Amino acid sequence: MYRYVLKRMAFVLITLFAVIALTFFLMNVIPGGTSELILKHTFIGLEESATEEQLAQISDRYNLNAPLYIQFIEWIKSGFLEGDLGTSFVYHKPVLHLLMLRLPATIILALSSMTIAVIGGVSLGIYAALRENKFADHLLRFLTLFGVSMPGFWIGLILILLFSVYLKLVPVAGYGSIENLILPALALSIHSLASIMRVTRTSMLETLGEDYIKFATAKGLPVNKIISRHALKNSMLPVVTVLGFQIGAMLGGSVVIEKVFAWPGIGSLLVDSIFARDLPVVQACIIVIVFLFLVVNFMVDLIYVYLDPRIKYR
Amino acid sequence: MKNRFLSILLIMSLLAVPVFMSGCISSNEQSVESGEQAVADPSAAGQTLVLGEMWDIENIDPASAGTVICEKAAVTETLVGANPDFSLKPVLATSWEQVDDLTWIFDLRKGVEFHDGSTMTAEDVKYSLERTMAENPRVESMLNIGSINVVDDHTLEIKTKEINPILAGILHYPDTSIISESSIDENDNFVKPVGTGPYSFESFNEQTRVLTVVRNEYWWGGDVGLEKLVLKGMPDPNTRAMAIENGELDFTVDVPYSETDRIDAIDGLSVEKYSTPRVYKIDTNLEDEALADVRVRQAISYAINREDIVEHVLYNVGTPAAGPFLPSMSWANKDLKPYEQDLEKADELLTQAGWTDTDGDGIRDKNGEPLELELLTYAARPGLPPMSEAIAAQLKEAGISVSSQVLEWGAISDKRENGDWDLVLAAFNIAMVPDPEYVLGNWYTTEGPDNTPGYSNPEVDALVEEAKTIKDLDLRYQKFNEVEAIVYEEQPKILVAYYGCAIVKKDSVKGYVFDPTAHDYSVNAGMYIEE
Repeated sequence: MYRYVLKRMAFVLITLFAVIALTFFLMNVIPGGTSELILKHTFIGLEESATEEQLAQISDRYNLNAPLYIQFIEWIKSGFLEGDLGTSFVYHKPVLHLLMLRLPATIILALSSMTIAVIGGVSLGIYAALRENKFADHLLRFLTLFGVSMPGFWIGLILILLFSVYLKLVPVAGYGSIENLILPALALSIHSLASIMRVTRTSMLETLGEDYIKFATAKGLPVNKIISRHALKNSMLPVVTVLGFQIGAMLGGSVVIEKVFAWPGIGSLLVDSIFARDLPVVQACIIVIVFLFLVVNFMVDLIYVYLDPRIKYR
Repeated sequence: MKNRFLSILLIMSLLAVPVFMSGCISSNEQSVESGEQAVADPSAAGQTLVLGEMWDIENIDPASAGTVICEKAAVTETLVGANPDFSLKPVLATSWEQVDDLTWIFDLRKGVEFHDGSTMTAEDVKYSLERTMAENPRVESMLNIGSINVVDDHTLEIKTKEINPILAGILHYPDTSIISESSIDENDNFVKPVGTGPYSFESFNEQTRVLTVVRNEYWWGGDVGLEKLVLKGMPDPNTRAMAIENGELDFTVDVPYSETDRIDAIDGLSVEKYSTPRVYKIDTNLEDEALADVRVRQAISYAINREDIVEHVLYNVGTPAAGPFLPSMSWANKDLKPYEQDLEKADELLTQAGWTDTDGDGIRDKNGEPLELELLTYAARPGLPPMSEAIAAQLKEAGISVSSQVLEWGAISDKRENGDWDLVLAAFNIAMVPDPEYVLGNWYTTEGPDNTPGYSNPEVDALVEEAKTIKDLDLRYQKFNEVEAIVYEEQPKILVAYYGCAIVKKDSVKGYVFDPTAHDYSVNAGMYIEE
C-alpha cells in the first residue's frame, strides 16, 4: 500500500510537470503575440494599435526575448526549485499573493457545491431507485436531464432572477457573507447533483437486485435498514468515480459562475490571464487546478479500497 | 461498529464544511473596510452611491488604470480637460501655449491641494508625468517628450522630441493624471492614489476588488455631492441589470442593450442612451482583388442599412456613422451624411466593376470567381457578433456572399499580419486624444499604425503633414475636414455606427452629467442622492 502511495505521488509530480510544459507550449503557440496582448490588456486597450518600440519595451520588461526553452527552464528553476512563482505582468503583484487572495473563494465555492451535490444527489438517487418507474422517479429523471443539459451561467441567471429579483431573499452578486454564497453554490452544484443522482439511481437499482438484498428483505429487515446497512455502501463505487470527475467539471464550471456572480475566485483569474497572456499567473493557476484535481482523484482511489475490500493496490 | 464510526466521521466532516466556510467568510469580512458596512446599514446609506462598474477593478494605479481612478472614481485629475464638443478646457493647468515648434509652457492652477494636504506644485506635475511615462509605454510614445523643466512653482516647460501640436490634448488622457509623491512608498511601490479630485481614496479590497472613495471637503472646484462612492466590478451585463433592479446598485452602465427599454420602464429606474467616442467600423483588405476596387467598397457601404442595425442590433444604444468623428465634435466634418442603404446604387457600382451574377445562384461573379468575403469580428463587445451577422445578411441582398466569423482578438491580429483576411469589424476609439490628428493620422496615412487596409493616398499624407505645422485651430481643422471628405469617398474603412453607452441609474440619483469625452463614462462632482 505504501509503495502504491509513493508511486501515485511520483505520478502526480510527473503529471504536473507534463501539464506545465504543455501549458507553456500552448500559451506560446495560440494566435496573438504575447507582448502585444500584454501591452493591449494592461496599457492601451484591446483594439488600439501597438508600435514596434512599445512592443520591444514590453518584451524587454518581461524578458520575453529569450528563446522559449530558456524561458521555460528559468521558470521551472525559480518556480519549482526556489518556490518563486514570479510576478504578474498585468497586476504587478507576486503571483503567490494573487493566488492567496483568490484561492479561498474558489475552495469555499467548490466545497459547498460539492456538499450540496453529494447530499442532494445521493438522497434523491436513492429515493428515485425506491420509486422506480413511479411518477416521482419519472419527474426526478426529467429534472436531472434538465440539470445536466442547461449551462451553468444560465442556471445562475435564472436563480438570481427567482431568488434575488422576485423573492428578494439573497443579494444578486458579491462576496463576503453566507447569503452571497448560496446562489453561486447552488448554480454550480446543479450539474453535478444531477449526474450524481442518475448514477446513484442506476447503481442502487442494480444493488437492490442482488441476492443478499433479497435475503435481507426476506428475513424481514425494514427498508431503511436494508438501504443504510447493506445497499448504500455497495452501490457507492460508481458514485465515487463520478465524484472524481465532477471536481474537474466544477473547477471548469466555476469560470462562468464566478463571472455571473462577481465571485473573486481562481477561475475568472485564469481566464482573464489567458486573454491578457499573463503567463506567470496562467501557469500558477493551472498548477493549482491540476493539483486539486489529482489530489481528489487520488483520494477517490483510496475510498475505493474502503468501499470494496476486494480492490487491492500494489 | 466500524460502519457506525465511519458514518459519524462522515457526518462530522459534512458539518465541518459550513463551519469552515463561515470561518473563512467572517475573517474576510474583517478585511472589508468600513465603507461597505455603511452600505449594509440602510439608515446610514444617505449620500453613499454604489456603482456597478463594467470591468473587474484590478489595478488602482492611475499610470495604467487612469480610466478607473481618474474618470470613474474621480480621485485624480488631468492638467487638461475637454468640453462636450471635445474642445479643450483648463483643469489643473489654467492655460498653455506652444511657444515654438518643440516647446510648450503650462501655467498650473494655484491653491490646489492633494488629498494628503500638500499643495500641488510644478515639481509634483513633473514627477507624475515622468512616472507615468516610465510605467506606461503607450503614454510615453504618445507624449514623446524630451524634457520637463520646472520654471517656477506654477509654471512648467515641456520640450517635445518632435513637433507635436496635440500635446495638450494628450494631457487629457486619464493615465496622465497628477498624483502626489506620497502615493508611492520608499521602496518605489505604489500604495494608493493621492490625487486632487473631488473624491479621495479610502480603501481598496484586493480580494473583493471593491473600491471606496469619499468626499474631498477641500476640493478646489467647489462642493462635492456624494459623501461616499463605492465601485464594484460586475463583468456580466445581465448581473448588472438584475443588481440595479434589485436595488443593490444605484448606478451602472451597459446592461444588455436588449434590456434597456424594459429597465427604463421600471418605476424608480431610468436608462439614458448616449453616443461615446468609439465607432464600429469595417476594415477592408486592399490587397484583395475585389476590395481594391473603390466601387466595390462603396457598393458594400451602400448595401449596409445602418438605421436598421442601430435600431435592431444596438437597440438605439448608438447612432449611424458617417465619418470617423461624432458630429458633436468641434472638428468633425459636418457635411458628411451616413451612407443610406441603396441597393440600386450598389448594383450599379458592382456591375460597373464587372461583378454580375452570371450563373443565377444569387452571388455575383467575375471571370468565374464568386464574390465571397470573410467578415471577422470578436466577442469582447456585445454589439459586434450580432452586427456582423446583420451585415452579412444585408450584403447577401446585394449579391455579395459574406461569412461572418467570431474569433479572439489575438487570432484576428495574426490573420491580419499574414494578409489572410478580407473584412474586420471592430469598435475603435476615436478620441483617445481630443484632436483629429490622432485618429486620421493613425488610420489613413500610409505609415499610420492603424492603417490595416494598407491605404495610401499622397494627398491625405500631405494634408496630415501640413496640418501639423498649423497652429490656428480653424485652419488646422479645415485640413482634417478635407481628409475626412476624401476617405468618405474612398471607403478604405467602412464606418457603420457610433458606439453607445447606456447609463442606468435610480431616479434618486440627481445631478449626473454625461461626459462624452470620457473613455467609457465618468463620475462628476455634482452627483448627489435625493433623500
